[in-house]
Amino acid sequence: MAIDLIFFVRTLVFPGFLFLLVLVLFFDWFERKVAARFQNRMGPSYAGPFGILQPIADYIKLFSKEDITPKQTNKFLFVVAPILAFSLFVFALFYIPIDGSNVILDSSFEGDLLLVLLLVTLANFGIFLSGWASLNPYSGIGATRILTQFLGYDIPLILLAIGPAFLAKSLSIVSIASSQVTVPFILLIPWSCVLFILVLQAELEKDPFDIPHAETEIVGGYETEYSGRKLAFIKLSEDFQFLIGASLVTVLFLGGFHGPVFIGPAEFWYVFWFIVKTLGVVFILEYVGNVSARLRIDQVVHGNWKLLIPLSILSLALTILVEPLLRSVIG
Amino acid sequence: MEKFETAVDVLKNNLADAIVELKVPRPRKAYILLKSERHRDAVSLLLKHVEESMLSTISGVDLGTEIELNYHMVCGGTVTLKNRVPREKPVTKTITDILPGANLYEREVFDLLGVVFEGHPNLERLLLPDGWPKGNYPLRRDWTPPLIQENDSGSEEDSQNNSEEDDVGSLVSVVVGPQHPVLHEPERFNFTVDGETVVDVKPRLGYVHRGIEKAAERMMYFQDVFLVERICGICNAAHTTVFCQAVEDIGNIETPPRALYLRTIVHELNRVHSHLLLLGVGGHLLGFEALFQHVWRDREPVMDIIEQITGNRLMSGFNTIGGVRRDINPNTVEKALKTVKAVRKRAVFYKNVFEEDATLRLRTEGVGVLSKEVALKLCVVGPVLRGSGVASDVRKDDPYAAYAEIPFNVPCYDECDTWARLMVRVDEVVESLNILDYAFNNLPGGRLRVRVQRKIPEGEAVSRVEAPRGELIHYVKSDGTAYPYRVKVRAPTLANLLAFPDAIRGGYIADIPSVMGSLDPCFSCTDRMAFVDTANGQKWRWSLDDVNSHKNRRVLL
Repeated sequence: MAIDLIFFVRTLVFPGFLFLLVLVLFFDWFERKVAARFQNRMGPSYAGPFGILQPIADYIKLFSKEDITPKQTNKFLFVVAPILAFSLFVFALFYIPIDGSNVILDSSFEGDLLLVLLLVTLANFGIFLSGWASLNPYSGIGATRILTQFLGYDIPLILLAIGPAFLAKSLSIVSIASSQVTVPFILLIPWSCVLFILVLQAELEKDPFDIPHAETEIVGGYETEYSGRKLAFIKLSEDFQFLIGASLVTVLFLGGFHGPVFIGPAEFWYVFWFIVKTLGVVFILEYVGNVSARLRIDQVVHGNWKLLIPLSILSLALTILVEPLLRSVIG
Repeated sequence: MEKFETAVDVLKNNLADAIVELKVPRPRKAYILLKSERHRDAVSLLLKHVEESMLSTISGVDLGTEIELNYHMVCGGTVTLKNRVPREKPVTKTITDILPGANLYEREVFDLLGVVFEGHPNLERLLLPDGWPKGNYPLRRDWTPPLIQENDSGSEEDSQNNSEEDDVGSLVSVVVGPQHPVLHEPERFNFTVDGETVVDVKPRLGYVHRGIEKAAERMMYFQDVFLVERICGICNAAHTTVFCQAVEDIGNIETPPRALYLRTIVHELNRVHSHLLLLGVGGHLLGFEALFQHVWRDREPVMDIIEQITGNRLMSGFNTIGGVRRDINPNTVEKALKTVKAVRKRAVFYKNVFEEDATLRLRTEGVGVLSKEVALKLCVVGPVLRGSGVASDVRKDDPYAAYAEIPFNVPCYDECDTWARLMVRVDEVVESLNILDYAFNNLPGGRLRVRVQRKIPEGEAVSRVEAPRGELIHYVKSDGTAYPYRVKVRAPTLANLLAFPDAIRGGYIADIPSVMGSLDPCFSCTDRMAFVDTANGQKWRWSLDDVNSHKNRRVLL
């Protein structure tokens, strides 16, 4: 019975669903605030201190708005796709060790890195389907752009994620994080980390890769026809995806939850370090996004197949070459 | 100036048998009445003998028994070729085969005055809605709005719902507008796309017609100054300057030099804020939000200076016939000089950004190419023309206000693409700030304006200025009363619109915003004519009182 209680608390409250939701909203606020400061704006300012409650207010608004399902759409897909995408992202985040272990205790296994990447890919299919089911030219173009961009950039992303896994000699996220206790991998294989962040920019549809929802070209992209609750789910999915992307950098290159532990329970400091590092990653992602213009889909595809895939293979080869030299410092 | 004299000589020598009357009342302005149907010869002569000559517009005037078509040709100055057609059977030959740029102007005259141009490739409605009743030509003198009946619909076939039927194979119609994030004003563009490639585009104008040309005939000259100001918020100073110039030209009114300088100052401030606005919008269209926000913040001090000088942030209400309405005090001058200096620093920085940012260049270089030959053929104007390698600027070619005394350069780029068009504007901001610097420092003393009678003597005048978006031309005809007989406005966007399909064809969907943005369309300038809502087929009309009422004035803006 006691074990069941821990299971429920961990999945539903901390560090499970409720905590993740709050964390996602906090990251949403942080992202908006940082972007605003880059753009010489105030950003959210009124709801709560420093506008920190603005994302909550926005979601409450979205959830209470009229929910329209257009006549012409494929109704089943149109309703299911956003929820599917959202659930898959949440599920993927359950495998990121935030307080030192996975949300479901002892569920970490050899290969959960691949599972997370797989879940993210599947979730993006959900987003694609949501655009495809809308039967709107803008949504259709947005949806095809997701497929073109996302499927292409999945390859270098996985190739680059193998680098840290190779150094840690493990495909388990927890072990990869644990082997960076002494030196984070960003110092050992910086080239891999830089490329990973760049590819992540494309995965998260941030500038210069925010092509699937380029508002001046195709209005809302895949989410054009969505409103109310379903739009809220799409927006939440995007926020979750953003957190997953940033946390992947944290666990793969920055040592994840590890950091100096001061007074108090170790779990607290794990969560603290994890959030601080992830915020740093978000800052870098936003920085890149704010100093560049949006590229064109053909340029993005060329950049992927002609530049990033060869580069990621090279980076992996380089990692394999230098691995014996780095052996001594890997924990 | 040389060009202008060559043009007149060429016509005199080669077309002596066709010229009925030739007047050159002012330097660089000629009015030539031709025998019927000889306009084609005159236009082709000018195109052949005068380099870089173009058509500004065609203004039709209803003279009672005849309709006079004024072909305003730009060759150094303006040569106005007059061709008269009988009102009962208004048919004439097209000049689109000689000069494709006449396409939209002939359609406009066809739409509003009912003149049929034989041989025109697609003589269709341009400004009036599709449901406008046949046989109603609003710009004829005897036409009054009550002629329009509710539900008197013509053909509605070209309404918004035709997109599905056009879808053939892999071609998909993507409708941009009337409401779309790329457009800040309502117009509709029907794009045919194959995957991500644009195959064709059909523009449809007329969503913001307000009947200003017709309304201008019913108001007195000094009232019209405020009416033309409301054609467009952003280039309001250009519209009032050009209108006042035309009226002063007819009435032989000498504007005091101080007024000319003040006009120049407000006109240039207008240009600076308009260009900064466009550069910011350009950043937004290309997904460069940070650039957008920064440029717009730097635009604010310019708006503050405009407010200090004219009393209003946007609608200056500054020019009047015979001079300007407000003086400028030394404190403001000092403040303005400081702002000019600060904004110039930022403008130089932005030039750097546009030159060096890799993603910006990737998106704009080689995109939306409009070669010099095509640009001249389509008669585009302003920064679009200068981005295609033609250093044409009304301020230099045909100086008005104080521009003859102020030294400045005309930026011109040979790349012919979106990047070149944006760079022209960046450079022009710097040039404009230099002009402002000079004008503030060399402000002559003296009177602000001369008193002008309400009645303006009989006559006609063409007046041109370089608005932020390009050459803006007004043609005013007076019949000796306090009310103008005809006011014709051709805003730069109409001239540049024809180039858009040519520039975008074969490009990507993602290029649509950047190319459209680089033309800097201003549709409220372009549409001026009717009050019909095509979405619900509802039609209404406005009396003068309605136009004046506060509620509608907000709509007019």
